[in-house]
Amino acid sequence: MTNTVVTAGSVVTAPAVRLTGLVKRYGSTVAVGGVDLEIATGEVLALLGPNGAGKSTTIDMMLGLIAPDAGQARLFGRSPREAVVAGQVGAMLQTGALRDGLTVGETVAEIAALHRQPGRVPEVLAETGLTELAKRKCAKLSGGERQRVRFAIALISRPELIVLDEPTAGMDVEARREFWASMRAYSDTGRTVVFATHYLEEAQSFADRVVLLRQGRVIADGTVAQIRAAASGRTIQAVVPNATLEELRRLPGVDHAEVREDRVTLRCGDSDTALRTLLDRYRDAHDVEVTAAGLEDAFITLTESDPEENR
Amino acid sequence: MNVRYLALEARAVMRDIRFLVFTVAMPAVLFLVFDGLFGGQAFADGTQASPALMVSMAGYGAMGAALSTGLTIAAERGSGWLRQLRLTPLSGSGYLTAKTTLSMLVALPSVLLVSTLGATVGGVSLTGSQWLVVTLGLWIAVLPFGVLGVALGQLSTSSNAQAMSGALMSVLGLTGGMWIPAEIVPGWMRHVMQATPSFWLREFGLSAFSPVASRTTGLLVLAGWTLAAGLVAITRFRADVARA
Repeated sequence: MTNTVVTAGSVVTAPAVRLTGLVKRYGSTVAVGGVDLEIATGEVLALLGPNGAGKSTTIDMMLGLIAPDAGQARLFGRSPREAVVAGQVGAMLQTGALRDGLTVGETVAEIAALHRQPGRVPEVLAETGLTELAKRKCAKLSGGERQRVRFAIALISRPELIVLDEPTAGMDVEARREFWASMRAYSDTGRTVVFATHYLEEAQSFADRVVLLRQGRVIADGTVAQIRAAASGRTIQAVVPNATLEELRRLPGVDHAEVREDRVTLRCGDSDTALRTLLDRYRDAHDVEVTAAGLEDAFITLTESDPEENR
Repeated sequence: MNVRYLALEARAVMRDIRFLVFTVAMPAVLFLVFDGLFGGQAFADGTQASPALMVSMAGYGAMGAALSTGLTIAAERGSGWLRQLRLTPLSGSGYLTAKTTLSMLVALPSVLLVSTLGATVGGVSLTGSQWLVVTLGLWIAVLPFGVLGVALGQLSTSSNAQAMSGALMSVLGLTGGMWIPAEIVPGWMRHVMQATPSFWLREFGLSAFSPVASRTTGLLVLAGWTLAAGLVAITRFRADVARA
């Protein structure tokens, strides 16, 4: 494909997505307050954040659906619109509702016609498990089936980049599992996937890289492991008779300690050292558990502390 | 122009039972009823009632069909389908052109059906060139309503589009002389009627056989409405896209 740009005589492969200083305001509300993001080809990236964090606005600007007030979005080194016209981008939008009067087959056929790839219809219907439902009116589909139709629409042009805004909203557990299985099959072919979600476990299970958005800004960017580590380390829980809070707090590697009855909870920056010392000093300590903080803890920790709160 | 997309859209409209009953069948039935009641008569100016009723009902049906595109546009905007379309190579002007063309396509059955009924059971007898004006000519004169439908789709929302187009159809049907012939209303009312595109749509059809109906003024008024509605449609579409 033509994902290359020529800079100073050398050919450099352009990233799938490059957002530079993206800003979008609605009145006095800043929806996106300066997002810089580069996504390499083949990455699976989760845009994670609470409602109102600016995920959808960022995605809309990425796709060229809304114009940024400042900054720019480039896809494969070209404008989003150019990339869309070239069929390099597929997307499932949060509000991409279907037309009740059309059948599943007609819906997919219309989009295929517009991409001038009418021959793709049977293939895509098969890939998304919709062949049996082709003659059904969209009005009669379940939530999970509707999402599959929207996924089929996104796949029509065989896009190199697929962008999903809350793709599993309204799906039940089984539908969600199936959806991610097909998404994985797709990303395994080396294509780039960007999805917005507020389901932490989705980001954790499917993304190579997680970008945390809060109030329109990127507050963390890294692998799931990195984000977890950056936010909190590990937690040791154990039953430790006769231990005082003071002693526990002073154990090496422990950041924070709590005692309830005999049950202690230690949040640790260095859990290995803390555990060694704990077992050494308190021979009768038992029922020891060490857990890595989930992304949820990292998420809460990171989104709670607002560096600009005192502005 | 993406012919395949257009064909799929047209097929979806033509399959819609409500469209077929209210927009295509109803004017045809009304033509048969009115023609049975007044068919043998003539207006004071010498215009025969039978072909005049045929033009009125063909025009009314075609107008309604053309305007109905506005309903689907409003629904597409409301549901987010338009955003999905913006992620395809279809451009904004391509969308508006496709919808206008669709309006014209779906207006054709009304003209053909009512004309066929007129020629067969309606007792309308015209020369070849007169038939050309009341069919092909009338159909082309529906263009301002096609554009008006597209504008309506931009101005209305999915929840009020039905009411708006219903009101517009009543007003245009009445003032166009389709319900009450313009030939029998008081002079002042005829003046009001002459500001509407529906009056001139009918007048254009009548010009095929009526001794008095004029063609030039009508074409100018219809062109003016096409232009005005087109400007509204384009302006509102741009504003809508910028806001999305």
